[in-house]
Amino acid sequence: MKRDDWSGVSGEDRVSQSEARWEKLKHNRLRCGIDGEMEEANVEDILDDWFIESLKTYKDLHVYQLEHPTQVIEWTSGKTVCVAGYGSSKNEVLELRLPLKLFANENKGLCAERDFKVVHGGFADGPVRCLRHVPGTRCIVTSDGLSSNLQVWDLGGDDSDVIRRTGSVKGRTTASEGVSRIAARPSSRPHILHGALSGDIQLTELTSGKTLYKLETDSADPLSSLQFVGDSVFLAGCRNGNIYVADTRTSSAPQLSPPPASSGESEPWWTDASAGPDPSSCRVIRLSLSGEAAVSDLRNPGAIVSRARLDVQTHCRCSSTDDVGLSLAPALDCIAVSGLGRAVQIYDTSVWRPEPQDALPLFEHRGHEVSSRQSDEGSVPALVTSHVWHPDRPRTLLSAAADGSVHVWDWVDRSAADAPAPGAK
Amino acid sequence: MIMQLSVGRTTYLRMSPRVQVWVPEIASKDLLSCVHTDEYLTNFIHGRVNEQDQKRTGFSWSEGLVSRCRYETGGTVLAAQVALQRGLACSTAGGTHHAFPGYGSGFCLINDLAVAAKYLMGNSSPKRKVLIVDLDVHQGDGTAFIFKEEPSVFTFSVHCGKNFPLRKQQSDLDVSVEDGLEDEEYLSIVEAHLPWLLETFRPDLVLYDAGVDPHQEDELGRLRLTDRGLYKRDLYVMKTMVSRGVPVAAVIGGGYSRDIDKLALRHSIVHRAATQVWREFGM
Repeated sequence: MKRDDWSGVSGEDRVSQSEARWEKLKHNRLRCGIDGEMEEANVEDILDDWFIESLKTYKDLHVYQLEHPTQVIEWTSGKTVCVAGYGSSKNEVLELRLPLKLFANENKGLCAERDFKVVHGGFADGPVRCLRHVPGTRCIVTSDGLSSNLQVWDLGGDDSDVIRRTGSVKGRTTASEGVSRIAARPSSRPHILHGALSGDIQLTELTSGKTLYKLETDSADPLSSLQFVGDSVFLAGCRNGNIYVADTRTSSAPQLSPPPASSGESEPWWTDASAGPDPSSCRVIRLSLSGEAAVSDLRNPGAIVSRARLDVQTHCRCSSTDDVGLSLAPALDCIAVSGLGRAVQIYDTSVWRPEPQDALPLFEHRGHEVSSRQSDEGSVPALVTSHVWHPDRPRTLLSAAADGSVHVWDWVDRSAADAPAPGAK
Repeated sequence: MIMQLSVGRTTYLRMSPRVQVWVPEIASKDLLSCVHTDEYLTNFIHGRVNEQDQKRTGFSWSEGLVSRCRYETGGTVLAAQVALQRGLACSTAGGTHHAFPGYGSGFCLINDLAVAAKYLMGNSSPKRKVLIVDLDVHQGDGTAFIFKEEPSVFTFSVHCGKNFPLRKQQSDLDVSVEDGLEDEEYLSIVEAHLPWLLETFRPDLVLYDAGVDPHQEDELGRLRLTDRGLYKRDLYVMKTMVSRGVPVAAVIGGGYSRDIDKLALRHSIVHRAATQVWREFGM
C-alpha cells in the first residue's frame, strides 16, 4: 500500500498469470507529459491506480499497523481477534477489537470509530506460531514451535486488560517436530486437539491436563492443519498431502486419503475443511505448492469432486511454508489463499469441474503490498502471513503481513455493483 | 442594476453589490488548452477514453461528466475573477488537483486550479503572481507538476504523507503530516507557513483548496480534524489573505463519505467561514 524464498520447489518454475500481468503493468505503463515526453510509470503509479480502484472494489477496508508482525489471527468473538508476534524472544499477545464502523450497516459516515483497538494484551516468552481460541471461554492456547508443549492463556474480562499465562499442555513428544497444530470446539469441559505430527495427535482436557484420546497411527507425517469437522470427528491435513479423518470417541484407525495424483514431484500441501452437523455438507479442499487444488466430500475424501489449477505465484523461493494459508469461506462457495504471493486471493469453487482447468482469482487483496510501499524505504516486503474469514459476514476477511499490517476488508460482489459515490479529489 | 452578460469565455459581470451568486459558463477547449494537451482534451471531450484510463480516474466517461468538469473549471476561473474584483469568492465545486496535462487521476479530469492560475496569471510582463494554497488531505500533485518551472505560481500543499498519491510530485512547498493529526496541531502548521509565504512571495491572487478530507469522518483522509477545526482553518486562511488585501478564491476540494448530506454540510463550512470574513471586514 516487498524475498519469497521458497525452498523445495522442484521442476520448472511457473509464474502465475495474474502476477505476470501485474509485473507487466508495472514495467510497461507509459504516459505522456505536457511536452510529449514518455515517462516510465513506476510501482507507485500502479499502486495509486489500485487505491482508486479499491474505492469501488471494497465495501470496507480498514488498516492497522502492529508494532510487530503476526502469523496468527484468531476470532475470539464476532468483533474481536487475537494476534501475536513470532520473534525469537518476548512477543506481544493482543486481543484487538475491529473498527466499529465496520459493523455500522447504516450511517457509516457517522461512525467515527474506524480504528482497531487493543482491548487486552500480554506477553509470551517465545514466538507464537499457532493460536486457537477455545469456544465458549475466554481461553486461548498457543504453540511456539520450539517444543510440542502448548501454552494456555486467560484473555481477561471487563475487570482486567491483561492476557495472562495460566498453564500449559504437554505434548506427546519431548522434542520439537514442527509447529503443533491446535483445534478446539465448544464443550462443557474445554479440551483441545493438538499435535505436530500425525502420530502424536491427542485430545487433552484443559482443566485437568488429562489425555482423553490419542490418534493411533504408525505414521509421523508433519501436519499443516488440524480441525474438528463435527462434534467428535476431526480432520488432520498433512504436509505431504495425506489427510486423516478420525473420531475421538473410538480408537479405530483413522481413514487415510492420499493427495490427488499430480504430475510433479512430492510437494507441500495444505488442507481445510468445513464443519457441520451433516457430513454430506462438509467439504475438504487441498492445495499444493504448485497451485493444484482439489475439492472432495468429507464422506469420501479420496474422491475428487472438482479441481482447478490456481493462479498462484510459485517461482519464489522461501525458507518456510508456514505462512501459507488456505481456507474455505463459511458462507460462500469460495476459498481464500495467502502466503504464496503478496496478495490474498479469492477463488470461486462453484465453477470448478472434475476435470483440471485453470482458474483465475475472483478477487485479489493487494492492500498489504500498498501499505508496505507507503512505509519507509527498506521496510519488510509485504508477504501475507495469515488470513481468516469473518464467521458471519460473507465477504469480510482479515489478513496480516510480515510488515506488521493487519487489514480487515469486505470486497464488493461485482454482480451487485454496489459501489459508493466518489467525491475525493 | 441591470446585469450585463459578456460574450466569450469570461463571465465576470457588473452586478449589483447585493448579488452574491454567479453562474459560470462552460470552460472552452481553448481555455483548457492552456494547461492540458490537445490530444487529451480531444479524447476527453469526445469520449475516446480507454477503459484503463477510466479506471485510473475513478470515473466512467459520459457526456455529463465532461460537461460537469468544464463547468467546474469555469466556476473556479469565475471565482478567481470575482475575487480579484471583490477580494473574496467561493466556488461550490473545484479542487481537481490530481489532473495532469495529459491524463486524469484520482477523480480529477481537468485541473481547474491550474487553468484558473494560468488564465489569471496572464501573458504580459510582469505576470500576475498566484499562490495556490492546497489544504486538501491529498497532495496536489497535478498542480505541482504543472507549475514546477513557473516562477509566477507558487504551489503550497499540506497533505497526509501516507496517502494517495503514493507517487508524490514536488510542490514549491510541501508539508507532509502524519496520520491522526488533530485540529490544534494542524492549524499550527498552517499558521507557521502561511504568513511568511505571503510576505516573501507577495501574491496578487490566492487560490485556496479547502478540501474537507482532513476531517476525522472522511473515509480516505486519515487525519482527525473536526467540523470546528475545518471552520477555524478556513477562517484563518481567508482572514489572513483579506487582512493583507490579497484576493482569495476558494474551492471546495476533496471529501469522501457515503453520507452525501453530511459531506455536503461539511463542504459548506468554507462558505460559512467566507460569509463570516465578508461581514467582519465589511466587504
